Amino acid sequence: MANPSKLANLPRALWRRGSGRYALVVLGLWLAVAAVSLFWTPQPLLATDGYHVWEAPSAAHPLGTDGTGADVLSWLMAGSRTNLVIAALTVVCSGALGLLLVGCMVSRRAGLGSVTVAVVDALISIPTVLIALLLTVPFGASVGVIVGACSIAYGLNLARIARPAAMLAARGDYVASALAGGASGWYAFTRHVVPNIVPVLSVQLTVSAGTSVLAEAGLTYLGVGVGAGVPSWGHSLATSVKFINVFPLTVLWPGLVVTLAVVALNLLGDALNSALAVGGMERREDDGR
Amino acid sequence: MGVDIRGLNVAIGGRPVVRDVNLSVGDGERVGLIGSSGSGKSMIAKSLLGLLPRGAEASGSAALGGTEAIGAAERTLADLRGRYVGVVFQNPGATLNPVATVMRQVELPLRLHYDLGRDERRDRVMSMLRKVGLDESVAGKYPHELSGGQQQRVGIATALITSPRLIVADEPTTALDSIIQRQIVDLLVSLVDDAGASMLFITHDFSVLARATTRCYVIDDGAVAEEGRTARLLAAPNADATRGLVASARRLTLSAEPMAAEPMTVEQGGAR
Repeated sequence: MANPSKLANLPRALWRRGSGRYALVVLGLWLAVAAVSLFWTPQPLLATDGYHVWEAPSAAHPLGTDGTGADVLSWLMAGSRTNLVIAALTVVCSGALGLLLVGCMVSRRAGLGSVTVAVVDALISIPTVLIALLLTVPFGASVGVIVGACSIAYGLNLARIARPAAMLAARGDYVASALAGGASGWYAFTRHVVPNIVPVLSVQLTVSAGTSVLAEAGLTYLGVGVGAGVPSWGHSLATSVKFINVFPLTVLWPGLVVTLAVVALNLLGDALNSALAVGGMERREDDGR
Repeated sequence: MGVDIRGLNVAIGGRPVVRDVNLSVGDGERVGLIGSSGSGKSMIAKSLLGLLPRGAEASGSAALGGTEAIGAAERTLADLRGRYVGVVFQNPGATLNPVATVMRQVELPLRLHYDLGRDERRDRVMSMLRKVGLDESVAGKYPHELSGGQQQRVGIATALITSPRLIVADEPTTALDSIIQRQIVDLLVSLVDDAGASMLFITHDFSVLARATTRCYVIDDGAVAEEGRTARLLAAPNADATRGLVASARRLTLSAEPMAAEPMTVEQGGAR
């Protein structure tokens, strides 16, 4: 159960776990770099230098340059904010879609519940890439397409994973008690079911955020991700991956950043899972003594 | 607020669980529904409140103060529930939302049905908590910080906060020990009588029913087996079902005294 007093202690409980500490440090750095990149990058993004392409790291270019002579570090810094926006929007949109679907699934209207379960089970078989390709046809490659594709795919996934916990809560006596007090089905869902499935939701949404970073890299590589000229980690990877045998370092940096971020988000999910589990915080506190 | 049930039938998945039940509760009357587990007594109350489980079908008539509940729109029923009808449930530990404070739980019907300011809601909750014998400091606590008896007092406060005209108490004492059972029943009876409300009290225990009600219906296998004044049924039961329930109540309370507490504890453990 997500006890509110427990939620207040959450940052401390996460920090006490090794995986949680790593995740918080990496995510903190990510946020800081994204914020700094709004005002400052080592080199202007559009500055190119035809005489210094694919250069090894130097004082002027700490992570080297890419095929146009642009500074790799600057592009990665600017890319961090695109990926942050994608991850955050994916969490919000997939969370909203997932909760809406879960709400229909546990509805007291028998027909609505079974239809939603069948629809989710059918749609979940469509891969994220295919959804992105379909969205690209009318809208063109953009951040919105990545967010849309990830939100639909992960929202469906969230609904399926959160359904058992939500069913359990919805059949709970406290929901019956709220209904007996005059609450509508939707009110009981938002105020009584959702707060009781926060652990499942938070873990799943964290994993979705991590997967959205991977999806951005993959989709941009396929040409259906962020538009040309928009900095993102996937963009940095896509422009350099063809030359991996000749200039491996230029692939290493974006690859490393994506790996660090995805591992951090997945570990955050793990740490949240154990911290929000019944007795999770108390157990760690005892261990610490 | 009176209750008038005529020819009520409820079936779950085609299997009848309530069969042709006729029942009435007059204004200010305390009426009991007694039957063994699975006899269908809770289903009667649930059809009255429009809270039947998925897949259950009800036919016949169940009127709450003149409003027909069977087949009524959800909005009509939601307006009745909490405002005119308060419900006290069986298991207080499970009935309270584990992530909401006592204050938030008790004020819920007020929030839903009345347009009151925060301070007024708070004052009413505090005065209700005092009425059910709880300290005001309980308002900021979570359910897991309270004992079973305190939790049920919170449940009663939630049911009575809007001064409803009918209280439906669905086995409110089953999950509690015998001393707390008596306190809770006495509290409920005094609050209902003070408010001049009616009460439909559901239980499987005649010893509890005798304290809580003046008249009762014995339910067996979904149908009314016998009805009459509680004291008369307890003294001279006619139907087999009534005789069985009276005998088990006597075993628990009357003849158990010289036998020490052991058999009583075992029976109660099984009832939970």
